[in-house]
Amino acid sequence: MEMKKVLVIGGGGGGLILANHLDTNEFDVTVVDKNDLHYYQPWFLYIAFKGSKRKISRPIGELVKPGVKFVKDEISTINLDERKVYGSRKTVYNYDYLAISTGTTPDPDSIPGLREVYDEYGDYHTNVWNAEKLWSNISRFKGGTIAIGQSSPTCKCPPSLLEGAFLLEEHLRKVGLKDKTRIVFFTPFPRAYPAEPMNKVVEPMVKERGIEVMPFFDVDAIDPKNKTIFSLEGDSVKYDLPIVVPPCKGTKIKIIPETVQDEDRFIKADKKYMKIQGYDDAFAIGDCNTLPTSKTGVTAHLEAMAVSEIIQGRYAEFNGRINCPFDTAYGKATFVIADYNNPVAPYPPTRIKHMMKMTMARIYWMTLKGTADPIFEQFFKFTRPEKLNRKYASVE
Amino acid sequence: MEATKIIDSRGAACPGPITDLAKAYRNSKVGDVLELWATDKGVKADTQAWATKTGNEILEVKEDPDKIVVRIKINKR
Repeated sequence: MEMKKVLVIGGGGGGLILANHLDTNEFDVTVVDKNDLHYYQPWFLYIAFKGSKRKISRPIGELVKPGVKFVKDEISTINLDERKVYGSRKTVYNYDYLAISTGTTPDPDSIPGLREVYDEYGDYHTNVWNAEKLWSNISRFKGGTIAIGQSSPTCKCPPSLLEGAFLLEEHLRKVGLKDKTRIVFFTPFPRAYPAEPMNKVVEPMVKERGIEVMPFFDVDAIDPKNKTIFSLEGDSVKYDLPIVVPPCKGTKIKIIPETVQDEDRFIKADKKYMKIQGYDDAFAIGDCNTLPTSKTGVTAHLEAMAVSEIIQGRYAEFNGRINCPFDTAYGKATFVIADYNNPVAPYPPTRIKHMMKMTMARIYWMTLKGTADPIFEQFFKFTRPEKLNRKYASVE
Repeated sequence: MEATKIIDSRGAACPGPITDLAKAYRNSKVGDVLELWATDKGVKADTQAWATKTGNEILEVKEDPDKIVVRIKINKR
């Protein structure tokens, strides 16, 4: 019998975890990515705010297990009706199962003035070079107003925005600039942290550290000459150093039919099985899809695990679990934990959780291959959101 | 004739509905009515705070058995 072909587009966390969990004796598995390298993206934060020089990339070809093929190619078009995927150099790929795991595309050109700010100051979300650029700007900073935040609500990793503000404050205090600096944290959400229970945990820390919060602040335009950011809601903030995370959009690849994408090019998939709307043989995993959950590594990971089971003929579903490490600076961290049926638990920051976040950065490469699966299984079991809510959420 | 745009945010946990509302606001114009459907209970307080902040008007908050419906008139954009 001929082996079924599984084509995975995108060699990020979701794509690699899926490919590495398929039985290569039964499936002919190919991963295609336009880049050679895979990056551990959560570390951008420590490059940008602590000047970390850690090497955070590895060749994708070394991250796939034996038997899984890796091809470097830029996909231009996916035709779901014909089961054909077009690469550069007139390459055509066929498949029995397709998984799209292309992540997000930063879009600094969709907001007037943002491109100039992004090119000059960098950010801490999009790539290593931008994170290094931001660190060099922070290192040269001598005092004034720093405006930091996300420009639009669609963004990767919800805790990372405040993590940036916290780590920035810690840095400024360390170098003796705290008294000369005003930190303004702007956010499109009603409060510093979007989910209320976690906001209750971190808001006192935000206040105590003198970080000013501007809620309901969607960036409408930036005037780089007058160093001012304007919001859709009618506010503005003047800056000396702007740290603006650009809006996230979906894949640039053309998909036929185009009705499977929303207006920001994210791929419509069902929230339990990640099947692309109207198709049984095509999945969208991780940041590139429209699932009503956070855009973060852990959701890509768990969605990929479920899809690998589904492709191999076993029942599995994704329950919406998020598990986002949240560095609150000064050596402490917490996790934002919830799922489709349970709200975020007000989980307090501790030193041990910070250690776990740092450990995760080291064992990340094992998670891609599946060797860390038993550790994760135990962790997810002991930190179920209903359990944490029983323990930490006060009865209201 | 005013345009009513339905924003279906059912199933999205907080702050999903506000995310969807803010996205729709970016593409709206004065006179539009946005109808936000949500299942998250926090939507009522959040949209109220949002409307106060942005100077837009909540026309109606209705609790159906399967969803909460908030109708918002865009007065400022």
